[in-house]
Amino acid sequence: MATDTQVPPAFVGGSAPARHMKAGVTHAVLGLFLIAIAFAVLGDDRLTHIAFDRTLTDLDWALPTQGIVLALGAITAAIGVWMVLGIPQRRFKPAGATAVTAFVLAILIWSYSEPGAVFRAESILAGALFLAVPYLFGALSGVVCERSGVINIGIEGQFLMGAFTGVLVANITGNVYAGMVGAMLAGSLSTMLLALLATKYQVNQVVVGVILNLLALGFTSFMYDQLKKAEGLNDAYGIPTLTWGPLADIPVIGPVLFQQKLVVYVGLVLVFAIWFLLYRTRWGLRTRAVGEHPAAADSMGVAVNRLRFWNVTAAGLISGFGGAFFTIANSLAFNKNMTAGLGFVALAVMIVGRWNPLGVLVGALIFGFTTKIAQDLDASGSALVPGEFLQMLPYAVTLVVVAGLIGRAKAPAADGVPYNPGDK
Amino acid sequence: MSTDTATPPAEQPDAAENPPPRPGFTQLFGRYLIEANSVMVTVYSLLLAFLIGAVLLIVSDENVRSTYTYFFARPQDALTSSWILVRDSYLALFEGAILNLNTLERFQAGTAEFGDLLRPISETLLNATPLIFTGLAVGLAFRAGLFNIGAQGQLIFGMLGALAVGFSLNLPAVVHLPLAIVAGALAGAAFGAIPGVLKATTGAHEVISSIMLNNIAFFFLVWAIGTGFFHSETKSELVTKPVDESATLPTLLGWLGAGLRVNLALIVGLAAAVFTWWLLSRSTFGFRIRAVGFNAHASATAGMHVGRTYASTMAFAGGLAGLAGAALSLGVGSSGVTTNTALEYGFDGITVALLGRARPGGIVAAALLFGALKAGALSAQPDVPVDISTLLQAIIVLFIAAPALVKAILHLRTPRGGMVTLEAKGW
Repeated sequence: MATDTQVPPAFVGGSAPARHMKAGVTHAVLGLFLIAIAFAVLGDDRLTHIAFDRTLTDLDWALPTQGIVLALGAITAAIGVWMVLGIPQRRFKPAGATAVTAFVLAILIWSYSEPGAVFRAESILAGALFLAVPYLFGALSGVVCERSGVINIGIEGQFLMGAFTGVLVANITGNVYAGMVGAMLAGSLSTMLLALLATKYQVNQVVVGVILNLLALGFTSFMYDQLKKAEGLNDAYGIPTLTWGPLADIPVIGPVLFQQKLVVYVGLVLVFAIWFLLYRTRWGLRTRAVGEHPAAADSMGVAVNRLRFWNVTAAGLISGFGGAFFTIANSLAFNKNMTAGLGFVALAVMIVGRWNPLGVLVGALIFGFTTKIAQDLDASGSALVPGEFLQMLPYAVTLVVVAGLIGRAKAPAADGVPYNPGDK
Repeated sequence: MSTDTATPPAEQPDAAENPPPRPGFTQLFGRYLIEANSVMVTVYSLLLAFLIGAVLLIVSDENVRSTYTYFFARPQDALTSSWILVRDSYLALFEGAILNLNTLERFQAGTAEFGDLLRPISETLLNATPLIFTGLAVGLAFRAGLFNIGAQGQLIFGMLGALAVGFSLNLPAVVHLPLAIVAGALAGAAFGAIPGVLKATTGAHEVISSIMLNNIAFFFLVWAIGTGFFHSETKSELVTKPVDESATLPTLLGWLGAGLRVNLALIVGLAAAVFTWWLLSRSTFGFRIRAVGFNAHASATAGMHVGRTYASTMAFAGGLAGLAGAALSLGVGSSGVTTNTALEYGFDGITVALLGRARPGGIVAAALLFGALKAGALSAQPDVPVDISTLLQAIIVLFIAAPALVKAILHLRTPRGGMVTLEAKGW
């Protein structure tokens, strides 16, 4: 949101104050908007209820909505003014982040002040972590592919293949974990096709990725209709929620961290595992080299296209597993196009996370939280915004994030460029 | 990125000393057939796709699959049932898209009208019409190096724009219909311009932003249909008011039979294709589009505004997709628009543009083919899953996009001048 404007090169990184007109005015306007809302819309008897619904069930915090929105609005506006007047360069980013956080917090507190709405903190945070799972897996798959220099736009398709195959295999074998393995293999099969076309046949990866999405959509929808004719091939299978004994009773942390389904823990472990593999192992160094400068890697004896092929194929295991979220982790049967574009949101998460697994975790949590809030507000019937607009929210946030970040977040240098050893 | 479009080898065989014998027509034709040129790649892609489709039909059909359990005892059972399944499925597609053999018999017996005979063709043309527009919308953007997968959202806004003018104004047909069509185009253009402007100003990749806008447009449609302005006054379900008689697209073949629904939008679509061809190959704007698509850096160095070209190309593409929306909402007649009216015409535009290789003529041909596929699939359901059209389309364009794959599978020869592939840029 904060846009740098005309920063003289000499000041970059220094502490001399610099004016940021665009960012400053934007923040100031947002802050004034909040203050106006506080006086015009919110009466001084409005309360925002916060409940700890799973552990401390009889606790109920009632916060004065008007006062808090007013305070947060003042903070946002003040930061805006500070930016206009001149802000030390090293304070600019933290200040911008504070302003944006204050603004979002104020909007949240406003939304949950509607009559009947309660911010059930534990359910919402636990749900946010759970809903972050598909983004996490999709984006991690994207990170592995793109760090190796192959653009994977087909995450959506791998989700669909994973979601469909997961249920099918679970139904055939009667074992839900076999279904999850099936989902991984299905995702991998579809990235293997991408990998083959991208390395051996050097086809344009964006075009093929989009086609693979259509192919996955057509294939799973077609199979869904065909298999529907037979009994017992698309019944819902679910996995249990794991409860970590007494740990699950700790307020807030317990329900959020120690009362989740297996997929959440797999996702969290995977983040750190991939981070370690990418930055601390020989494979990681080679992968990053192949994604940044394949010719250099080649001259050091790395088989560029072979490494790319196997990395992309392995990344399909991750996104295929993410596909199982939609069916198995949610205990749902497969339905046509049930991933609803979230594979593309996962791509945005990858960009937010700047192609780094740890960044991806943060991005996925933000998007999971957004999705959860939208669902929760929609379900609570809060009349502030129509439900359809709440459902747009994750997509709209993606749009804003991609527009705001992509110019500055740097993709691996050879991302999407086919490597032909004969071209040197 | 697409710098290495293989140039023909510059070797000059010592023709003067030893002239090679001129190959005859049969020999040339035979050589043409086993070459990976764009015509033969298209033909083989179609054949391979229908072959894979047949395999999937067999594998996914429970009854046929059960005959394979005793394949080695009685192979003829499995083979016959497979053959019958595939034949019947593809025949059903053909009958829904081109000519219904049953109706033909009744026509010959004198119990069916000539109009009944034309119905499948009319349905094919009806389904091809929005595909022409959305195919052009994707194809035009492609020429500027933009991968516009947002045709679905642009189409939805075009639908709403045309609809709003179509039922709210009270005008004579001569003014009302064109005005409604233009409203659809403008709504689509406004929505389509967003990813172009975002790309120009922030560098946001158009694939992500346009797919996000598709989702946003869909929820907007659901919301809009529910509002008092759009919602039907007589029906309780989620359906809009019908457009006025004066804004309804007249049918082209209505005088031959009541069920022939193909309408004036087809003519508009063909005109749009001709106009797009003219625009791309004869106008300055088109030159700029192609130049930017070919090499954005060189175009910028030559003084062209790359960002402005992105924005205006996307707006133009959005306008074309908006026309598809207008064709749908002004063509449905009295029934009104539902959340389902748009089907997947926008996404199908991607496959149409890829099959048509982003050229207006090719796009019209591809739209007719996929329109036929869609009409066939819609009429053949539920015996044949309706998504067989999406599946076949995706397989076809996968091969089209990867001619090297077709070449490798069928051991074709490399044509002189290399193979034609389509490019879209990364981040």
